[in-house]
Amino acid sequence: MRLIRSLPLICAVLTLTAASALAADPIKIGEINPFSGPLAKYGLELARGHELAVDEVNAKGGLLGRKVELIRGDATNPQQAIASVEQLATRDKVDLFSGTYMSPVSAAASDEAQRYNRLYWETIATAQELTDRGLSNFVRTGPNATSYAIESVAAVKDLIAPAFNKNPRDLKIWIEHEDLNFGTSIAQTLEQLLEKDGVKPIGIGAHSFKAIDLNDTVLRIKQAQPDILVEIGYVPDGNLLLNTLKNQGYKIPAIMYVVTGDAPETLNIVGAKDLEGLLVVSYPRTNIPSSYSPGGAEYLAAYRAKYKEEPIATLGMSAFAGMQMLFDAIRAAGTTDVDKVREAAAKMDKPFQSYPGGYGVKFDDKFQNTRALPVVVQWQSGDTVTVYPKNAVSPGTTLRNLPSN
Amino acid sequence: MDNIVTIFIFGLLLGGIYGLVSIGLTLIFGVIRITNFAHGEILMIGMYGTYFVYVWLGLNPYAALIVVVPAMFIVGLLVQRLLIQPLLNEPMMQIFATFGLLIFLENLVLMLTNGAALGIPSEHGTRVISLLNNKVSVAQILAFAASTIIVISLHLFLNQTMMGKAIRAVTQDKRAAATMGINVNRIFLLTFGIGTAITGIGSVFLTPIYTLSPTIGGSFVLAAFAVVVLGGLGSVWGAYFAGLIIGLIESFAGFYIDPTLKSAVWFLIFIAVLIVRPSGLLGIAGAEEVGLREQQ
Repeated sequence: MRLIRSLPLICAVLTLTAASALAADPIKIGEINPFSGPLAKYGLELARGHELAVDEVNAKGGLLGRKVELIRGDATNPQQAIASVEQLATRDKVDLFSGTYMSPVSAAASDEAQRYNRLYWETIATAQELTDRGLSNFVRTGPNATSYAIESVAAVKDLIAPAFNKNPRDLKIWIEHEDLNFGTSIAQTLEQLLEKDGVKPIGIGAHSFKAIDLNDTVLRIKQAQPDILVEIGYVPDGNLLLNTLKNQGYKIPAIMYVVTGDAPETLNIVGAKDLEGLLVVSYPRTNIPSSYSPGGAEYLAAYRAKYKEEPIATLGMSAFAGMQMLFDAIRAAGTTDVDKVREAAAKMDKPFQSYPGGYGVKFDDKFQNTRALPVVVQWQSGDTVTVYPKNAVSPGTTLRNLPSN
Repeated sequence: MDNIVTIFIFGLLLGGIYGLVSIGLTLIFGVIRITNFAHGEILMIGMYGTYFVYVWLGLNPYAALIVVVPAMFIVGLLVQRLLIQPLLNEPMMQIFATFGLLIFLENLVLMLTNGAALGIPSEHGTRVISLLNNKVSVAQILAFAASTIIVISLHLFLNQTMMGKAIRAVTQDKRAAATMGINVNRIFLLTFGIGTAITGIGSVFLTPIYTLSPTIGGSFVLAAFAVVVLGGLGSVWGAYFAGLIIGLIESFAGFYIDPTLKSAVWFLIFIAVLIVRPSGLLGIAGAEEVGLREQQ
């Protein structure tokens, strides 16, 4: 009887204990990104994607009964990345790490995190070698260089070739890329994948992303008279290439930019008129139909509510989805231990269109998510609309400015 | 043949851009022998200045000359008075100080712009005219013309005015110049200011062509130093022609060899010329040591 009378008290004590545990012992995630320097804007946007996923999971009672907390570590270069990881691991005692806008920062930070036996859950950085290293603490949920190449080839075959009424093998393709690792690795993979399908590019050109003149590049392209120009570069050289093409009065039937080319800066500088019809292989948008990108609209609503503005860049939603995948893996593992979370991640098998952005989860043996692909958007009247894959296209959207339309 | 003419035109125009970037440096590095590592960043802040004048005042980008050039002259005076003057007899320290200025200016612009790429809408940079059956950018022609006008004016200034003669006298022997009544410190101050203002003119003409980033100065600075040295230290015309030569080599190498090798090609030629003529193309023999030797 005394025990029954004490029950409410016991329950209250247990609830308070649990609540205090939730408040006192959060799961701490070290958020490695450039929060200063020239890329701070994008590091911040990526972190916002992570923050919204953390808010979502905390609103549902946390993870493994614990609150989730993000602690930022500023890293604009590999040296700073190492210092930030050290500080977060020793001073803040984070349980795991996530990031990262820049591949070199991700490489250094994950390497350092391995020394502390902490998981490094990568959601954005694209460099191929990040997973090729076979690091024992590394997992990547977002698209990598190969994913961009795969989607570019698919777009050439399924989107552009039909618009030309041509067999893909008859298309004349010129691949132009900036000459550092980023552009070169995607260009090489793209070339290999095209050749596997019997499509031989008529030319491959490289230039420095710091180039102050691309007239020679455009003359070389002009001489080859391609049907399609595929450009892999950064914003300044991408803009200079478009302006140089315009200056020389040379119009290529189809131009497809890979990774960059959809930034607001490009619209401001190049202008809506000259961007009309440009295709860009990029991160999935928030306005893709929910049948393809479940949770995309909810992400956008949460973003607007929290930050009182429109998303700065498109990568935030992919970061958000990547963080949701992490929470699913931790739930399955029942711990944040690096080996057990990777073990649980290896068993994850969710089809495409399970997460915002249309992503699914299936990791390969190097812990690269094979079900995270970019989409193809097209500049139309000063806005970017998704035109590929077909099930990501909003009703009423059609291709513009390609030969058959 | 058509290609050769086209490449020649594009090469000349590119040379005009190199000339535009290098002429201010000719005065600062070539004439008064101050190794200004922040030259690219001076150019960069001039470009941002042009952009903000365009955005805030709504003026034609070229009208920004009336604001940017005097502002850059004042920037030059301040840099010389506060940073260079105290280190006038310490050429090594000047290098470190101007390198510090480079980092400061880059980060200042980063802080102000949050790293966003900015640029003037392309209609200003992509107007074209037809020249020998080639479409040629008006912005590049204007840059070429500006470069030519500046070099003629600077040549006349250095050779025909008392101030110009005083600058040259200070370069040759500042002690002798001082004994002749020339205020050496004032000459250094004004020369740095004029060099910076000329770089400001270059900034205005380049802004409509490029996408601005805080690191854009780095795209020009190496070539600018090479142009000044190749032309011959102290030779304004040398820098102008060296700019044209590098532009032409780069354009032909980019088309006929490989765009990724074009810088390597002109640097090879640059090294070969310096081995044969250490004083540069139009430099007076021994000019490469004048000023520097005196400072040591």
